[in-house]
Amino acid sequence: MTTTTTTQTGAAGAPGRAGAGARPAAVPRSGAPDTARRRRLGACAALMTPFFVLLVVVFLVPVGGAVWLSFFSDDQPGLGFGPERTVFAGLRSYRAVLSDPTFLAGLGTTALYCLVYIPLMVLLALALALLLDSGAVRLRRTAQLGLFLPHAVPGLIAAVIWLYLYTPGLSPVVEALAEADITVDFLGVDTVLPSIVNVAMWSNLGYNVVIFYAALQAVPRELTEAALVDGAGPVRTALQIKVPLVRASGVMVAMFTLIWSLQLFTEPMLLSQATPIVGSRFTPNMYIYDAAFTRNNYGLAAAASVVLLAVTVALSYGLSRWSNRTGAAHAAQEGSR
Amino acid sequence: MHRRIPRFARTALTALAAFPLLLTTACTGDGSAAAGAAAGRPGKGPVHITFWSALRGSQEVVDAYNKSQSRVHVDFQQIPSGNQGGYAKLSNAARAGNAPDVATLEYPQVPGFAIDGVARDITPLVGERLRKKLLPQALALTTFEGRTFSVPLDVEPMVFLYRQDLFERYDIAVPRTWSQFERAARKIKRAAPGSRIATFPTDGGTQLAGWAWQAGARWFDTRGGTWTVSMTDKPTRKVAAYWQRLIDEKLVFVNSVDTQEGSAQVGRGAVFGKLAGAWDAGGTMSSQPGQRGKWRVAPMPRWDLARPRVGTHGGSTFAVTKDSQHPKEAMDFIEWQVSSPESLKARLSSGTSSAYPAATGLVPVARKAMDTSYFGGQDIYPLFRREAERISGQWKWGPRMTATLKTVQDRLARVGEGRGTVLDALRAGQRGTMPDLKSLGLNAREGSR
Repeated sequence: MTTTTTTQTGAAGAPGRAGAGARPAAVPRSGAPDTARRRRLGACAALMTPFFVLLVVVFLVPVGGAVWLSFFSDDQPGLGFGPERTVFAGLRSYRAVLSDPTFLAGLGTTALYCLVYIPLMVLLALALALLLDSGAVRLRRTAQLGLFLPHAVPGLIAAVIWLYLYTPGLSPVVEALAEADITVDFLGVDTVLPSIVNVAMWSNLGYNVVIFYAALQAVPRELTEAALVDGAGPVRTALQIKVPLVRASGVMVAMFTLIWSLQLFTEPMLLSQATPIVGSRFTPNMYIYDAAFTRNNYGLAAAASVVLLAVTVALSYGLSRWSNRTGAAHAAQEGSR
Repeated sequence: MHRRIPRFARTALTALAAFPLLLTTACTGDGSAAAGAAAGRPGKGPVHITFWSALRGSQEVVDAYNKSQSRVHVDFQQIPSGNQGGYAKLSNAARAGNAPDVATLEYPQVPGFAIDGVARDITPLVGERLRKKLLPQALALTTFEGRTFSVPLDVEPMVFLYRQDLFERYDIAVPRTWSQFERAARKIKRAAPGSRIATFPTDGGTQLAGWAWQAGARWFDTRGGTWTVSMTDKPTRKVAAYWQRLIDEKLVFVNSVDTQEGSAQVGRGAVFGKLAGAWDAGGTMSSQPGQRGKWRVAPMPRWDLARPRVGTHGGSTFAVTKDSQHPKEAMDFIEWQVSSPESLKARLSSGTSSAYPAATGLVPVARKAMDTSYFGGQDIYPLFRREAERISGQWKWGPRMTATLKTVQDRLARVGEGRGTVLDALRAGQRGTMPDLKSLGLNAREGSR
């Protein structure tokens, strides 16, 4: 455990730090460096322990529980009215989940949602951050606060607010549009997904703007000044100097947004109370909830959770691999210039 | 700047961000060890049993029961109706080992709670005397493989509630068959373009089931010790095609009925009739007091006048749960509740009801309490009695009916927006049900595709 910790922290710490601390630990020969090393290890362990405790308690144990649950079932023979006994069901629940058209439809809905939401989020957040950074915005502090404030509103409350704005007969927006002879059904078959994207956008845009803005603040001023001297306008400076430099933040925003999107639950769950178009198994997480609490089928719910976890991990891993590779290619290209 | 996120940190962040999804699976657990908090003490004093229900008038019934004898004392708790969280509450309580002694289940949910072991097998407790009092078709719906899991309180044959004044004004005959119903629907649309004969309920999985039931469908067949699921069998296809035609030609409204929109439609007289269980006569009396004297009740239109059959819509039953420490006393209370005139009188004292008692000996009590002026003096209970006798006996509800019906309704809502058909919705219901039954380890197969 300790050895893996040190190698991991060593590997992770090395590229970040350029100072003396990053030198690979020399083989200890005398007593003094040995104590130093031990002290460093002790500090390392003390600092990492809370993380590992949390990781085990709130992540690994529940994952293990879910995996365990997904392989067992309380079975009764025949119609099911007999006494039940717990049996090892193998992959039965997984087969059921993967052959369930309602689960696959939920995955499809989420995929569509991601395709719309993630690019939109990354582009809009980046654009707003660039605007804030360019100095073109007056009242920057107010604008920043205004953008970030919705993120402080809990997701459930946000969904309630938007539900009010979407519901015909309640919503002042729908009413105002109706007076202008525009009839919009925000909760219709084709409009409900964009409506959910809108709620999520409202909640999370400010947060991601802050991430981009912080990255932009770290862009060396010499670079932008050099660009200015070379005759680049503000737009060109933004697109060709700043954007490539905050690429890593873009990947991070995309990854967080992806993970958040795959767990879509609160907003559609609330909307499902208001419109039957959002069904009880609209997203994978709603499917899991429905399986556990409407169908009392914990094996199925556990299997669906594990499938969703696998999809999330695979997509996150894929995204980071892809960004590493393109990042390296990008750097190589830059270097050869 | 080259501030890259270290891979290790990235993995950790990914992991942390992903863990909330596991919360749903984390909150499970087997609480069967803790038995229900049994308040009943041997020796002196009455045995205490608990009773949960969402039915109106239950408090009055419990009070009357507690007054009528001193052996058993019932502690009543009003809970939300099933789909508003009542069933989830019951499941969770059973999981924690403290379900009430007596719980209220609607017919479609009986097999599910029986399979989950929440509703106890009460076959030996249901005496011959009680069995004889109950309508056989009602008892058959709570009995599987010869074992009875709950006792019916009311059973609700589907009827056609109609606005006699509107039919008269436009000189349209009240339909007796489904083909007459379609012809009447056309006439009404032509004569009163803003009105329709009825509403196809997009939130009405149970109504659709009732119509398929009437046509002879077997969505869930239990013969041969296997759940054979055929939600698109031949009779159902006939029913689905019929309604699809009415929907396509805009001969009916297509929207939810158990909503403000639905009751507003009835309130402004836009619908000429309602297709619902017998209880809805009383429901209409309560929700539309201004339409007194305008309504009448007719039998549900038939497919074949020579072979009159109907399905049901609604109705409740009482089950003794696995956690009950006093199943015998619980059963005594249930028997009193479903079959004694005092119980029905107490229930009716809380408000109007046209529920049809499953213990048919109580019909005169219900009939006497009914204010017939709302139906222009029509004596509706004899009609209910005839229709109840005609409830078709082949029907069984399935093991996960709440979810199955919800899946159908999720699709029916789209039919209302012109997407997909009634048959698609039923097919989706079947396909969304099979994986569930399979993973529960039940013997299940698809009968129709």
